[in-house]
Amino acid sequence: MKRSSTVPSRRDGQTLSQKPGNQNEARGINYESPAAKFGFGILGAVLLLGLWQFAAIRGTFGNGLPTVSATLIELFALFGNPEFWTDTFTTIWLAVLGMVIAVVAGVMLGLLIGTIDWVRYATLAVTEFFKPIPPIVVLPLCVMIWGPTNTMALALVLLGTVLSTTIQVIAGVNDTDPVALSTARSYGMGRVERLLRVTLPSASPYIGTSVRIGAPAALIIVVVAGLLGGAPGLGSAIYRSQSAGDFPQTYALVLVLGVLGLVAQNLSSMIERRVLHWHPAFREDVK
Amino acid sequence: MKRHLFNLALAITAPFVLILAWFKASSQSTNAFFPPLSDILVRFADLWIFEHFVSDIIPSMRNLIIGFALAAVLGVVIGFILATVPVLRVLFEPSLHLLRGIPPVALVPILITLVGFTDQMRISSIVIAAVFPTLIATMDGIKAVDASLKDVCTVYRLDRKDRLLSVYLPSASPQIAAGMQVSLLVAFIVMIASEMMGTAQGIGAMTLLAQQTFMAADMWAGILLLGLIGFLSNVLFDLVKNRALSWYIGSKKMEKVS
Repeated sequence: MKRSSTVPSRRDGQTLSQKPGNQNEARGINYESPAAKFGFGILGAVLLLGLWQFAAIRGTFGNGLPTVSATLIELFALFGNPEFWTDTFTTIWLAVLGMVIAVVAGVMLGLLIGTIDWVRYATLAVTEFFKPIPPIVVLPLCVMIWGPTNTMALALVLLGTVLSTTIQVIAGVNDTDPVALSTARSYGMGRVERLLRVTLPSASPYIGTSVRIGAPAALIIVVVAGLLGGAPGLGSAIYRSQSAGDFPQTYALVLVLGVLGLVAQNLSSMIERRVLHWHPAFREDVK
Repeated sequence: MKRHLFNLALAITAPFVLILAWFKASSQSTNAFFPPLSDILVRFADLWIFEHFVSDIIPSMRNLIIGFALAAVLGVVIGFILATVPVLRVLFEPSLHLLRGIPPVALVPILITLVGFTDQMRISSIVIAAVFPTLIATMDGIKAVDASLKDVCTVYRLDRKDRLLSVYLPSASPQIAAGMQVSLLVAFIVMIASEMMGTAQGIGAMTLLAQQTFMAADMWAGILLLGLIGFLSNVLFDLVKNRALSWYIGSKKMEKVS
């Protein structure tokens, strides 16, 4: 089914609105050039900030909406506040620690469940049931057992990320090339060696995916644990500033979280690409 | 074959065995955190089927459904506009990614400052947080429309409306559906979070209140109910999705066979 091979493609430059790069030049502006993207991106952000400032000055939301300037001043004040840095560090540390433990546990559990048939069937119902249930559901239980502590936040991160990592690893194990496994067996590799040299490497892109999805999720869970459970970190800082009525600080902290979330997303997909650069799925990127 | 039957039996009996084990192990429990399962089930029936069905379950579910529906529609519409109008896309895509980076639950305190502790606040938190997955998926889905499909549109001289509604939108729909599924999860999380922050209404509020007053059985009953809602809403979504996208799933199967 190769329809495009016989079709002289894209002559009609006016009606196609969705075109890669150079096609837009007919209109005079190339929206895909890095300079245009950067410039327009800044312009868009400024527009949105202007809208925010306008709404704040007009008092559309009463005094609940601080002005952009007040928020930015508060943001810079936070940078000089050691408590803010402790909170940020705690949040990042808990998310990273949770993610590392979750990956190690997920790989071990996933290899166990994925390679032994009866274990997989026995755990199928449990994993399928808990998969769509977010960790916030068990937050009250964690708070009851551990109180508003780092341990509680870490437990919540693990509850929220171990299962999804495990499921990814199981999928990776199932995706192992049977020919490669048979080859390894005929070369006389033992069970453990096959596991480490064939199954684990071929499951590694799935592990990469679980890290890419899990890292931002871990950050979010730490914030939830702080916001609703009182665990130390940026979450409880937001809660304190909000209940104290210090709204510029609330907004500034939420902005910080936005940036952190963005960094977590990009950093984890960068690590994924770096570590798995040898894998066919990532080789395509190189031109 | 015998092995297969054994595995199947194992898969079916395992959950029952687990529940039974929980029941047995906890039956004599005096641990304040882990009350007997029988107590939890009694409280579950008392609380959720009788006392708080109208006062708490219905408002929670209403907020979830309205919030998710609005988020799904807005996500598709905004994503569609952003993906098809290049100026708007380059203007707002970077800001969008920053907003998306904000943990959804962190929007709740912001909405409280803006709107106060009302149902309006809860629904708008759900909408704002849950709109992003659908929005981004719609944009990506339309961006990824097959080049040969676009060529076919050109050859058939489809006008803009036909092109967008009968080619681009269906072609992006598998990705949109995947985005909506994430939106549903986010909506559910924010529903709980919006109730756990300083209100006395809703399933989340009841559960947290039970925890704060050390009513362990009540808290477990809340956790069970929330877990069930999370699980069942996902199952329901899968059913609808598989129905709506049966043409796509069918074509994927054909591809695998050939």
